[in-house]
Amino acid sequence: MSLLEVDDLSVRFETDDGTVHAVDRLSFEVGAGEVLGIVGESGCGKSVSLMSLLGLLPETAVVSGRATFDGIDLLAARGTALRSIRGRKIAFVFQEPMTSLNPAFKVGNQIGEVLRRHLGLDRAAARKRTIELLELVRIPSAERRLDEFPHQLSGGMRQRVMIAMAVACDPKILIADEPTTALDVTIQAGILDLVRDIRERLGTAIVLITHNLGVVADIADRVLVMYAGRKVEEAPVAELFARPQHPYTNGLLAAVPRPGAGRLREIPGRVPSLAEIPQACAFAPRCPRADAITRSSVPELRTVGPGHMVACFHPGTDAEAAA
Amino acid sequence: MSYVETSAVTINPRARRRRLLRKRFLRRPLAVAGLVVAIGFILMAILAPLIAPYSPSATDFNALLAKPSREHLLGTDELGRDVLSRIIWGSRASIEAGVLATGLAIAVGVPIGIVAGYFRGWPDTVIARLTDVLLAFPFLIVAVGLAAILGPSLTNATIALGIGATPVFIRIARGEALSLREEDYVRAAVANGASDVRIIVRHVVPNMTSTLIVQATIAIPAAIIGEAVLSFLGLGVQPPTPSWGVMLADAQSYLSQAPRLAVYPGLAIFFCSLSFNLLGDGLRDVFDPRTTR
Repeated sequence: MSLLEVDDLSVRFETDDGTVHAVDRLSFEVGAGEVLGIVGESGCGKSVSLMSLLGLLPETAVVSGRATFDGIDLLAARGTALRSIRGRKIAFVFQEPMTSLNPAFKVGNQIGEVLRRHLGLDRAAARKRTIELLELVRIPSAERRLDEFPHQLSGGMRQRVMIAMAVACDPKILIADEPTTALDVTIQAGILDLVRDIRERLGTAIVLITHNLGVVADIADRVLVMYAGRKVEEAPVAELFARPQHPYTNGLLAAVPRPGAGRLREIPGRVPSLAEIPQACAFAPRCPRADAITRSSVPELRTVGPGHMVACFHPGTDAEAAA
Repeated sequence: MSYVETSAVTINPRARRRRLLRKRFLRRPLAVAGLVVAIGFILMAILAPLIAPYSPSATDFNALLAKPSREHLLGTDELGRDVLSRIIWGSRASIEAGVLATGLAIAVGVPIGIVAGYFRGWPDTVIARLTDVLLAFPFLIVAVGLAAILGPSLTNATIALGIGATPVFIRIARGEALSLREEDYVRAAVANGASDVRIIVRHVVPNMTSTLIVQATIAIPAAIIGEAVLSFLGLGVQPPTPSWGVMLADAQSYLSQAPRLAVYPGLAIFFCSLSFNLLGDGLRDVFDPRTTR
């Protein structure tokens, strides 16, 4: 029984320039304590699909489909019901640690506020718990940092504070939207360690949105690859890296820098505009395996191995495809 | 030395920011002068009964239109009333009108502006356009018109001035709310389950206070001048209660004989509003994050 089940999730934005189909019939599940990595290029709908689950998108977004969390229909939740899930059951960590804290309040108060709101702790208890949380996210001299303002913390520290705030109420799922993108590499590793640590110590399921396959290999149990608003491949992490089926996944893996491997290979072409859903494989214009059928019909997801699904007419690793 | 200072700094961050702001403020002599003079006028208003040498309505018929002397430092008016005492007592009407009218404008304008800017939608459109229309009328014209409708008294003049100053505060609060609602920390608070009310109280209002403080120091002198104008026109403080505007009005008839009767209250209005203006300018620079000194 999975914790979160998303079924046929579609998100459109009604803009002045017409409709943008950001997410198209996306389905996925997250099990308890599992780490799901969602990868894809910028604008492929990774963030949008997860933000839509908690109603965090602007009003121009039209969301359809089903999302069930713990027996609750997330997309139908409104008002108090929705607010009691946000931050309490499902928590979000955003990409921009530099601006995600209110400059007018001490960090301790900002974490404490979440505790007091969701768990009804009093001021003293919230303070005590906040110190524990700052220690959990490995902020040195937590008791002192508590009384500092956001501008006195570095980016990495702020992201740790954001994570502390996110796990404050012991959520079932932590959604981390590119938590390390704005940080430099050494800090990234520390944050990823922390995320892993939190999963182990608190048993929180984690959905990690990233465009960094290295991060995914490091930390995820299962990987979902998105392209142009659609899921193109999903597999356990080892399987995905060993036998990538979709040519896009193959391309992503080939684009990971490896010392001594010669010039980096890129995926030719650009991400298509999402103004209309093409009646074809969205990747076809950039795909070395494209042929008449990929340009005339949409490939459905099919199972190619245990837990391994791919939406492609010509699946296989690049090596197999070349053979 | 510098080590000691930095460690002290990290231990108490709020004190550090306060100290930084104070240092920036003290580096601006005009702002400091404005603060000192403004506080002086406020104290003068509060302590009027203690510091005024005479009652503002006491008449000395042996000294009508008297020149400044040791008994009457600024001379007397046509009824033999001590001008200095009347200026001291007159500051009460000015400060009261300035502070209360601005307070009224904030109390009415800021919530309206926040609702418009934070929730958007059609109420925002209506409020914003209405504010634009109101702002198209000069402040004093609105105040004079309202005071004429409400009837002459200091309270009504204050209400009229407050209402006249409200559109500016609506516009500022709306603009601030519009930009603050898009901040990442607001999005993070939403994702953490904060309600709209909580976001407004915790995230929107605290981050617009410095802008509001600056605007208040601009609105206070405008209201002080406004009170003088209304009283001059007979729409504010009623004689014999002293007010700088009333004194100016009374002085008109004696301009050729005793021009000082107009000069002294004029100078009082000038210095009082100037002090608040300088203070406001200084505060704006101090709060501006782009200020480097």
